[in-house]
Amino acid sequence: MSDEVVVAKLLRELERKAERGELLYIGESLARLDSLEKVLGRPVYTGDMLPDETVYVKVVHSRLPHARIRSIDVSGAMEYPNVLAVLTHADVPGENISSALIPDRQLLAYDEVRSVGDIVAAVVAEDVRHAEDGAERVGVEYDPLPAVFDPLEALKPGAPRVHEHGNLVKHMKVRKGDVVRGFEEADVVVEGTYRTQFQDPVPPEPMIGLAMPGGDGSLTLIGSLQSPHVVRDCVARILGFHRDDVRVVQAVTGGAFGTKSDEMPVDVLSLAALASIKTGRPAVCSWDRREMMIMETKRHPSVIYHKTGIKRDGHLTAAETRVYMDTGAYASLGVLVIMRATFHATGAYDIPNVKTDGYLIYTNNTPAGSQRGFGAPQVIFAAEAHIDDIARRMGMDPIELRLKNMLRPGGMTSTGQLMDESCGLPDCVDAVVKASRRGRGRFDHGSGRYRRGMGMAILYHGNSLGPEGSDYAVVDMRINRDGRIVLGTGLTEFGTGSLTGVAQVAASVLGVPLNYFSIERPDTGKHKPTGPTVASRVVTIGGRAAYEAAKRLRARLDLVVADVLGCKLEDVAIVDGMAFCKGGERTMEWADLVEAAYERGVKMDEEGRYVVPECKWDDETGQGMPYRQYTFGAAIAEVEVDVETGRYRVTDFYAAYDVGKAINPAGVMGQIEGGTVQGLGYAMMEELVHVNGRVMNPSLADYYIPTAMDIPERMHMFIVEKPGVLGPFGAKIIAEPPAVLPAPAIRNAILDALGIGVNDLPITPEKVLMKLLKKSS
Amino acid sequence: MSKHLVTLNVNGEDHVLYVDSNERLIDTLRHRIGLRSVKEGCGTGDCGSCTVLLDGRPVLSCLILTVQARDRRITTLEGLGKGDELHPLQEAFIEDHAVQCGYCTPAMILTAKALLDRNPEPSEEEIKEALGGVLCRCTGYYSIIRAVRSAVKKMHGVRRMENER
Ligand code: FES
Ligand code: FES
Repeated sequence: MSDEVVVAKLLRELERKAERGELLYIGESLARLDSLEKVLGRPVYTGDMLPDETVYVKVVHSRLPHARIRSIDVSGAMEYPNVLAVLTHADVPGENISSALIPDRQLLAYDEVRSVGDIVAAVVAEDVRHAEDGAERVGVEYDPLPAVFDPLEALKPGAPRVHEHGNLVKHMKVRKGDVVRGFEEADVVVEGTYRTQFQDPVPPEPMIGLAMPGGDGSLTLIGSLQSPHVVRDCVARILGFHRDDVRVVQAVTGGAFGTKSDEMPVDVLSLAALASIKTGRPAVCSWDRREMMIMETKRHPSVIYHKTGIKRDGHLTAAETRVYMDTGAYASLGVLVIMRATFHATGAYDIPNVKTDGYLIYTNNTPAGSQRGFGAPQVIFAAEAHIDDIARRMGMDPIELRLKNMLRPGGMTSTGQLMDESCGLPDCVDAVVKASRRGRGRFDHGSGRYRRGMGMAILYHGNSLGPEGSDYAVVDMRINRDGRIVLGTGLTEFGTGSLTGVAQVAASVLGVPLNYFSIERPDTGKHKPTGPTVASRVVTIGGRAAYEAAKRLRARLDLVVADVLGCKLEDVAIVDGMAFCKGGERTMEWADLVEAAYERGVKMDEEGRYVVPECKWDDETGQGMPYRQYTFGAAIAEVEVDVETGRYRVTDFYAAYDVGKAINPAGVMGQIEGGTVQGLGYAMMEELVHVNGRVMNPSLADYYIPTAMDIPERMHMFIVEKPGVLGPFGAKIIAEPPAVLPAPAIRNAILDALGIGVNDLPITPEKVLMKLLKKSS
Repeated sequence: MSKHLVTLNVNGEDHVLYVDSNERLIDTLRHRIGLRSVKEGCGTGDCGSCTVLLDGRPVLSCLILTVQARDRRITTLEGLGKGDELHPLQEAFIEDHAVQCGYCTPAMILTAKALLDRNPEPSEEEIKEALGGVLCRCTGYYSIIRAVRSAVKKMHGVRRMENER
């Protein structure tokens, strides 16, 4: 029998098992493969591996948000003790471009700076302190240029131009039906404006990259990053190297949340590489927290207008939406963020007539880019706040309004995509409503000083890249002669445990315990390009690739088992590392099976590959199927507000997500809990304040993120499983959506408690109090 | 800058070193003694990831000068557990999925250890309060709190067994 036929058979077998819920390891909360090294405090992060002779690089960034550079004087720095070199644009041998999609940003500015995050020079010294002191001695003279800081101002004729080609980077549209007719059919039209702020990702491990010279002129780069192959190609271009002469290895990465997929890893690794080439020594470039908060890409601030038509019976007839996003001085991945934002801008609703326009705009603020949620937190905040505003206007219950209009199987998204049975939104809504206080009885709003309210929000989230990029994954799998199974891929993880999930998929197919697996460090020298690690796609797309590799290996192993044990192929089973034949009496240990396979010369390595079927999206008509599958979610926040101070706390948070299939439920819940708390920070406290382009609070003393004291007292989680078409066993992505719902749910809960809607994030006690005072006067 | 001869007792071992008067404890521990579990997240005393135990109490090693720690007892994550045996907190952090990116893990485990050493059965509020100075951007803290509670159970189990013997 050919492998193909075996594989087909195996697949059927697996599917049958899956239907009976019999799959080994899938759906089990197994411990992560990397947790031991982490609880032991092993030296696995980039900064833990610096060789003794390492030199240090510190950057000089712009003092002005927009200016022409008149001169750069490096002599003061060069004379400073222990300084070895100062790098400027003149030292860049290749293309001086550090930007992923649009070549609008230089690694080292040569004529103009457009934000205070722009890097002008870098000082190389024997140690950090001298590099820092040296950086202060680089003299840069500027001629200030007119600047613009508000995205709406930036679109006006005559506004200062951030780049010569104008301030509008991208206009993106969605069109469905005919909104003019839709508004005519409406009984009531409701409008609203919503604003969101700069959120800093605050990855726990600050940015760092180490360059090590190889004897032959090649370089090995080790860093805290998301997408090694992308970084390799960008750094090679900057150095003027062939990309095979640059090897990028991802060290264990202490959190990323999107920003480490943008320009930052390219910046630090290019500068480290240049320093290493200059000095012939290993070089490390790192940013401290303050530099991070100024230079790293953040969540785009936005202004969002909604206009919605509704019938008296509660059916939405038309939605017109405009989304303006401030990408700061550079586009970074904003061109993709605005795409996702525009697709999702009207929320998880089936509205017959939709007209959405998304605009990505340059300003002289610091750059925005990728951050967990990728445009969804902004638009879902606005859409869900707006739904509650509509409900209030109509005197309707906001949950009822959602139930009437939300996406369900058979419904249609704003881009004209039909929802099938994999739409688990109704189940998510049902789960949180039933569990909430209202579902359990009556919701008590309280009286006097402390008032209570509940608020809901729902979402759908297109999985993986869709039209944002070519969507595929490659996973190598090798069974060593000692029985260990080694997984290697250019996909990475930075905290989510996603590679454990990928191994779990393979374990299930092969029938061996997870602890037989090891995962190689992602390494461009070993692993094939596999697209960027973004969009939470590792388990879903990488898992599918692992599944492909594992099932081919499994098919070969089954032949060996049948041969050695003398039974029919269809009777072979491998369970928990033990092979046997159904109805037979003999078994084989995994180690013996592997040995037997090696003796027979069976090929014991495989490359698993999975390419996502192409999505259909038409920029011209504003219609199509941007994503092949969606994650759904619903949340309810219950808050208690002190009307005298405006302070409030979230007592209970209910969250339900349709994840298709939870490969590792504890891992899924970790994403829901962690994402929720990040979203809570976005809702309640986080704002990176820019005044005239300057970052006013670039420290964790002035920029608050939630601590253990700030989390909702009770977190109630529900996992809904409506299998999708992409992921292994129907898995959908989960890392991003949980960061989206807290802001609108909390905002709507405060609206319910006090009758005031705060439309600009974050919802600080001051804003609540101001609104209360205004309302009572 | 003057150099000082200091003795530090780190994880039960004495280290005698010459240090600059402005040398931070985190740098001495990481770069001179090689204890890389001590993590720098901000350098300004705001994130807690550099926490170590000084005479059993959590301190921020980015804000303390090494000379201030002279003759004191310092514990880092490397000093927990015996040989191959994990500390119950380490076990619980693995089992309860309290580790994501791992960058806060050393500080979280040490802070929890200091708490359990002085208060073996803390309430949920006391756990949150104790951990309140260490930021975790990944977990949302729930799994960490669960892990501390499971460690409490494990440690009581051990104690009971010891009593029975
Ligand atoms: S490194 Fe952040 S508190 Fe010490
Ligand atoms: S696990 Fe990443 S900061 Fe806590």
